[in-house]
Amino acid sequence: MIAEFFTRLRFLFTRRKPADLDEELAFHIEQSTQRNIAAGISPEEARRQAIVEFGAVERAREQCHEQRPGWWMGTVAQDVRYALRGLRRNPVFTIAVLATLTLGIGSTTAVFSVVDRILFRPLPYAHNDRLVSVGLTAPIIPEEFMLGGSYYVWRDSQKPFEAFTSETGVSPCDLTERNPARLSCASVEASFLPTLGVAPILGRNFLLDEDRPSGPKVALISYALWQSHYARDPGVVNRLIDIDGNQVRVVGVLPKDFEMPALEAADVLMPQALDEAVQRKADPGRVMYAFARLKPGIGAAQAQAMLDPVFQYSLSLAPAPFRKEVHLRVRSIRDRQTHDLRLAAWILLGAVLAVLSIACANVASLLMARAAARERELAVRTVLGASRARLIRQALTETLLLAGAGAVLGCIFAEILLRAFIALAPVGIPFLLMAHLDARIVGFTLLLSLVCGMLFGVLPALERPRAAALTARFRSSGAHAWLRRCLVAGQIAVSMVLLTGAALLLRSFRNLEEQKMGMETRGVLAAHISLPRSRYNTPQKQIDFFLRAEAALKRMPGAESVAVSDSLPPGGDHSENIFNNIAVAGRPRPASGTGGMVARRWITPAYFNTLGVPIVRGHNFTESGRGSAENSVILSSLLASRLFGKQDPVDQKLQLEPDGPWFTVLGIAADVKNAGLSGDDEPEYYLLTRNVADHWAAHSVLAVKTSLAPAAVEPWIRAQIAQIDPTIPFEIETLSQSVGRLADRPRFETALLTFFALCGLSLALIGLYGVIAFLAAQRTQEIGVRMALGATRVQILRLIAAEGVRLISIGAVVGLAAALALAQLLKSLLFNVDAHDPASFAAVTLLLAVVALAATLIPARAAMKVEPVQALRYE
Amino acid sequence: MPPSTDLLQGTLDLLILQTLVPGPMHGWAVAQRIELLSRNALEIGQGSLYPALHRLEYKGWIRADWGASENNRRAKFYSLTRTGKKQLEAELKKWDRLSSAIELVLGRASEAQG
Repeated sequence: MIAEFFTRLRFLFTRRKPADLDEELAFHIEQSTQRNIAAGISPEEARRQAIVEFGAVERAREQCHEQRPGWWMGTVAQDVRYALRGLRRNPVFTIAVLATLTLGIGSTTAVFSVVDRILFRPLPYAHNDRLVSVGLTAPIIPEEFMLGGSYYVWRDSQKPFEAFTSETGVSPCDLTERNPARLSCASVEASFLPTLGVAPILGRNFLLDEDRPSGPKVALISYALWQSHYARDPGVVNRLIDIDGNQVRVVGVLPKDFEMPALEAADVLMPQALDEAVQRKADPGRVMYAFARLKPGIGAAQAQAMLDPVFQYSLSLAPAPFRKEVHLRVRSIRDRQTHDLRLAAWILLGAVLAVLSIACANVASLLMARAAARERELAVRTVLGASRARLIRQALTETLLLAGAGAVLGCIFAEILLRAFIALAPVGIPFLLMAHLDARIVGFTLLLSLVCGMLFGVLPALERPRAAALTARFRSSGAHAWLRRCLVAGQIAVSMVLLTGAALLLRSFRNLEEQKMGMETRGVLAAHISLPRSRYNTPQKQIDFFLRAEAALKRMPGAESVAVSDSLPPGGDHSENIFNNIAVAGRPRPASGTGGMVARRWITPAYFNTLGVPIVRGHNFTESGRGSAENSVILSSLLASRLFGKQDPVDQKLQLEPDGPWFTVLGIAADVKNAGLSGDDEPEYYLLTRNVADHWAAHSVLAVKTSLAPAAVEPWIRAQIAQIDPTIPFEIETLSQSVGRLADRPRFETALLTFFALCGLSLALIGLYGVIAFLAAQRTQEIGVRMALGATRVQILRLIAAEGVRLISIGAVVGLAAALALAQLLKSLLFNVDAHDPASFAAVTLLLAVVALAATLIPARAAMKVEPVQALRYE
Repeated sequence: MPPSTDLLQGTLDLLILQTLVPGPMHGWAVAQRIELLSRNALEIGQGSLYPALHRLEYKGWIRADWGASENNRRAKFYSLTRTGKKQLEAELKKWDRLSSAIELVLGRASEAQG
């Protein structure tokens, strides 16, 4: 066997002279001739007989060649050369196929790379399918949470979980050593990492002793912090570092891929060190977030049912009026991370798969048209002795070449598209930065293109070329033409669905952009300042800083008005109160329900002037009021009408918290958008930030109204703040920038879907154009005959266009029906647009009809211009 | 190309190898000899003789050398190699097994008829 292999190998590389074979065969015929002559036949006749006896010399020669090892490799090269020549000869076809494949494969790959992270990637925890987030939901906190008052009871008496743990959130903290930095510190229970199944790569997890109120101060640091601040020095373990001015011992380093289950950024993990005994008695206790590992064989729904007893216990602790609005929730960590992204991700994936199907249909259609046009060539090759296998291989080679080139181009396009996504995408979309083309995704692309290629390239080759194809008279392939018509109608239907989706999102986005904000956003600059707690550790220091900053900015040229506030609309990150906490003097407090949430803002008197919010009734706060001890409040129109109806609220008394002080209503301000761009406006009240300690926090916003260009004013503001304290980092942006940022995500979704819809539409149009042009070309002769018999050009135009119109109407009707059914899915992404918005549907139908008709009329007009004489003489 | 298991082709290979046992021989002589020995029952189509010779050569079972023919013309002489001889033995055994098996089947068939 081995010897045989080496012999073959030797022959593979040594080339034989073709003359040798010729000489050998000539010798054979010579011998036969000699024998015949010896038998007494005349020399010519002898030679003739010898040749006849030998048979086909050329065939023998070829067969001898085919015995050569590696012969078939040569034929592959031949196939490739032939295919390349064929593709070069037909550049329009080649470019159309490659462009279609690039677009289809590229966009699918790019989008798959993005949604892969959201929908399918494994979370970096051991057996992450058994990890769940557990808690109560109430209007006050959107995600499920726990309260110290019930957490320990749950932990000790729950049945469905193997392990139950908690964290108390992430807050900013400062690394106060030689290389200071603002970090985020997460507080977790000692059982946090073991429950998630995460082990530190260096050092150890927290000990139970360290998770007590007076336990030793310890921390686990993230891999990124270890890398950036400690140069990956393993000696960091046991070192003391300064966090917020305290000496903290590093006990370990977290794995590189570690992330908090709720995806908050965390550089440092510290024990939450809650006093269990205090929390158990507390009402309501500390807000916590609980995570648990399910016992094997128990699902989230089952766990939820099993938790009912402890849930009832927690309900009994809640204030009676609120109980109806408190619910229990158990869901997988992935659900908690991606609940609001999921729909968008699926829609994106669906859209891009729709584009891919249109692209595949186009490639199929193009290849079929090519096969029909080449039927004669194939028939000729069959007659010349090409075997079926050889023809199929040839077709396969050609499609694989196309698919391979398409895959390469598609990958390049995908990389470009992915970078564009990341560049365009708003900061708020998690996972996108992590998206990249990995081997799996490239494999996915290759598989896709191979399947596309196989399916559509080889099918036509499987059919035996009909002998009739040899006669020039006949040129059609009925079955394929029918299939191609179906494909085109399908493409139109799919583009219709994509287009309606895009149109609905576009309309929704316009509504979002054009809604009234209720305030002036241009010319207002906001500096968000968060003071480091280590140096500004008393309220008085914080007040001093902000008052000095306010005064400095007021003196600044170009500053028309300067306000200080704890938050700014329209984002929803303001503090809140429960509606039913508010009592009106002389009326009983409502007894049931929460009544929803009310926004609360601490402001200085200049706030309304700075933001251009009119006071519609009563008065504004006064500067002198900042020094007084009066409790006054300004209501938004919405809150005023909910509390007082048509009654005049000015000078009425309100109690904002049960047993709290009474406030006098000073005035009514116009409503401002205050719950994001798409959220329903919340009722709101404003409190005056007086010069007393508990009215101030470490975080405040300085808003400056200016008539100068904001870009010019920004460095002045920075300079003023730096004069007070040069080490404070802060962000400045105009209000219109922050409003624009709120629209980032809908803008991104809308832009993507629109892009894919237009891709799909243009591909479908190319397909439609191709089919009509092909059908028209096939009927050239028929058109000639018709015209010779007296048909007018308009009748010819109608004949060809009718075909297109039929395809368009079938596709549009099917697409419209599908779009009506699928539009419901978009519902939660839409703002102030009905999912069955008639205007959007009408506009899309009109657009599709017009462009599709245009794509039909171009080839139809070409058919109309056929010269009958030429058409008949042709062939 | 992978070795063919085609019965006819395999048989032709066997015949060629057997023919070459006495000594080197050129293609024409191989054809003549097979026809002669089979009393003209097996007529080797030249169309398949040469491809078969080349195939065996590529496999390394026979070797080809240029030499002078009996009437002093340049001709290609084929001779068995060592692997070829081993292969011939193996092929003969296979053939024996096959033919006896076929005989057995045919014998049974005739018994059943009788």
